[in-house]
Amino acid sequence: MRPVPTWKWATLALVVLAVAAAGVPSIRPAGAQGGGTLVVGLDQEPPTLDPHASPSAVTYQIIASVTENLLYRGPDGKLVPWLAESWTVARDGRSVTFKLRRDVKFHDGTPFNADAVKFNFDRIVDPKFKAGGSRAALGSYAGSKVLDEFTLQVLFETPYSPFLNSVASGVLSLVSPKAVRESGDAVHTRPVGTGPFMMKDYVAKDHATMVRFPGYARKAPWSDRTGPARLETVVWKFIPEPGTRVTTLESGETQGIYLVPAQSLPRLEKDPGFRVEKLPWPGVPRIWLLNVTKPPLDDVRVRRAVNFAVDKDAFLATVYRGTGLKAFAPLTAVMLDDPALRQAYPFDPEKAKALLGEAGWAPGADGIRAKAGQRLEIVLNAIEYGGGADPTAQLIQSSLRDVGIDVKIKAQARPPWYEDNYRCATHGPVMFLRSIDPDGLWSLFHSSQVGANFNWSCVKNAKLDGLLADGRREADPAKRRAIYLAAEKLALDEALTVPLVDELAVWAFRAPVQGVKYNFNAYPVLSDATIRR
Amino acid sequence: MLTYVGRRILAVVPVLFGVTLAVFSMLFLVPGDPVKIMLAEFVTTPDQIAQMRAQLHLDEPVIEQYGRFVANALRGDLGVSIRSRRPVAAEIAENIGSTGLLALASMMVAIGLGVPLGLLAALGRNSWLDVAAMVVALLGVAMPSFWLGFLLIFVFSLHLGWLPATGGGDLPHLVMPAVALGMIAAAIIARLTRSSMLEVLGQDYVRTARAKGLGGASVIVRHALRNALIPVVTVFGLQFGNLLAGAVIVETVFSRPGLGRLIVGGILAKDFPLVQGTVLFVAAAYVLINVVVDVAYAYVDPRIRIG
Repeated sequence: MRPVPTWKWATLALVVLAVAAAGVPSIRPAGAQGGGTLVVGLDQEPPTLDPHASPSAVTYQIIASVTENLLYRGPDGKLVPWLAESWTVARDGRSVTFKLRRDVKFHDGTPFNADAVKFNFDRIVDPKFKAGGSRAALGSYAGSKVLDEFTLQVLFETPYSPFLNSVASGVLSLVSPKAVRESGDAVHTRPVGTGPFMMKDYVAKDHATMVRFPGYARKAPWSDRTGPARLETVVWKFIPEPGTRVTTLESGETQGIYLVPAQSLPRLEKDPGFRVEKLPWPGVPRIWLLNVTKPPLDDVRVRRAVNFAVDKDAFLATVYRGTGLKAFAPLTAVMLDDPALRQAYPFDPEKAKALLGEAGWAPGADGIRAKAGQRLEIVLNAIEYGGGADPTAQLIQSSLRDVGIDVKIKAQARPPWYEDNYRCATHGPVMFLRSIDPDGLWSLFHSSQVGANFNWSCVKNAKLDGLLADGRREADPAKRRAIYLAAEKLALDEALTVPLVDELAVWAFRAPVQGVKYNFNAYPVLSDATIRR
Repeated sequence: MLTYVGRRILAVVPVLFGVTLAVFSMLFLVPGDPVKIMLAEFVTTPDQIAQMRAQLHLDEPVIEQYGRFVANALRGDLGVSIRSRRPVAAEIAENIGSTGLLALASMMVAIGLGVPLGLLAALGRNSWLDVAAMVVALLGVAMPSFWLGFLLIFVFSLHLGWLPATGGGDLPHLVMPAVALGMIAAAIIARLTRSSMLEVLGQDYVRTARAKGLGGASVIVRHALRNALIPVVTVFGLQFGNLLAGAVIVETVFSRPGLGRLIVGGILAKDFPLVQGTVLFVAAAYVLINVVVDVAYAYVDPRIRIG
């Protein structure tokens, strides 16, 4: 055999190199880190930055100081003016009139006025537009009337009280009509707002950059000073792997990260070089929705027994370790807190056993209770994430075994998990929901939402439906609170769910990063943030 | 040579047909209504669900759907991503550069590390050098790339601070992912080079070259190594597929943009068109690269096309 001539090898190598060079476009290096640049690592990339199209929280984490709303809601939950100077709710609850600020321009110079706001809301309900969370936030929106250049009346088919809270939430933040009309798809990566920061560039799967808007001459509602943001630039890096994310914070590659994994939390909390900030999420806590239509959970005594039997402290001690608080009700404590809710179901296995006995389930030979030859079995629907089922499912399993209930975990991929929930096929899933208004309970419990939205308890209860409808109509905050408190008490009394853990939004920053503030949604607003040298 | 190339290209057609069929059936193999699953994250009206079904042509007979899928794919139209609402082809184009660069760099690591290791092991057969080189190769095969990735980040980013842990782009961002990804291929190539080299060193023509009085280095490089590397070319092609699969993990660990993360993101977001389009593209790329490798193989070793 003849050796292969050198020129053949050389030619082959050249061809490989040429093909490679042709296929590889030049890639820009990541932006240099100047003095005024804050780099924050997020756990995921947003599907879009268009506030009206996104179904995802990560969008609003990024744009919370880019696009602004008519009203603002801080961590105390109070509504204050933002782009609107004042607002009036009509007596019949079917319209809200906003007086707008006159000194606002979008980042592209487009004037901010009643026409611009109308354009934004009409865009969301346009059947040709695929809205994210924004569509539900507008409820029974019937259109907007421009009364004069800076006065807008927003109309509804039926009274829709959650609107005031929605209008202060990122989903109804406002973008430049001109930019939407003229830039086409660019709104997905560079929404043009009015806030202290403006989006500069977006590199898919890598980072998004926003820079200070020099023309910002107002006082942001979370700030006590007037004028543009202090930081020059904020870079949001997408770092899905939690271990890598923490390492970038420790090495200084990022100065802040979101979603600190529980196992790294003690280390960061002990180290004076870092500061951990934990914020309660508004909405529905991590919760087990009990399917009330499927035996044995069609018996309220069994459902109550399950509530007494689940050891929530074990969840906090093993899985959450400082990233969550005990949950008591279908809404998180920051939404609605009341001693009556907290006392509903203390951990009491003896009471659970007594209730099960009362329901006719007698202890069996293998430790599992039985009735008329039937074992007490419950199928918990869980998402298989690749590394096994949700750890909360296993904790539920071991808690309930102690009182004689055999929990089977149906661990499966997300699509069939959803399908089982819509069909009420299992004894219910563990889930959570972000919502800024107690009206979030509507999608969880209203009878119209079985098979359609998140009513995976499959409950149809006329009294509960009535309360949820009242909550949508009632404009007075105190009366609304009473209505939703009654709804929560009813849900607890009927034991429609097992509230497990109020999860916290956990951020960590290097110590020199100061002045990060958060809105009610637990999203950071950054115009006062600085990096101390 | 031309006939051989033609034959190889013709043989690709049924393979690609099978690939399109497999990718297309994905939508029907997942339990449940695909449209409801895809839109589960969004608040939707029945109208929007119907609109989506029409947009994806799910209301047509399956055969027609498949025909449309293949015809569109041939024209380079892979559909529109549900999550980002951009054409899948554009998403792929945006990410291919980064993954291509990573694959190339890790292949360079694989060859640059694997060939010398294998060569050293073969020349010092049964010596401590051989044992050491093969232990390194064994470690390379045994270490999962995500673990090696974390180890590299731990040492070079956190403790030494030499290299950035995340991001795409220039050389410093490329080094650790390329090593993490190329290590397994390097180990396989090292073992292959060793055995292939040992075989060639026993051949008559090597003995003849030595008998002619050629020096040791010249015999090894010009006569032995050049022929010993021929099987390595084939492995190169096969390993390329593994590199694409490994990119899914390595790109996630190092937060690098690329096709791997595109696919993972698509799967998590239940974005069927994106997953279908990207998987089809990667499968086709894999098939074509293997054709190129086969042709290159025939080019350097004439016995292939004769046989």
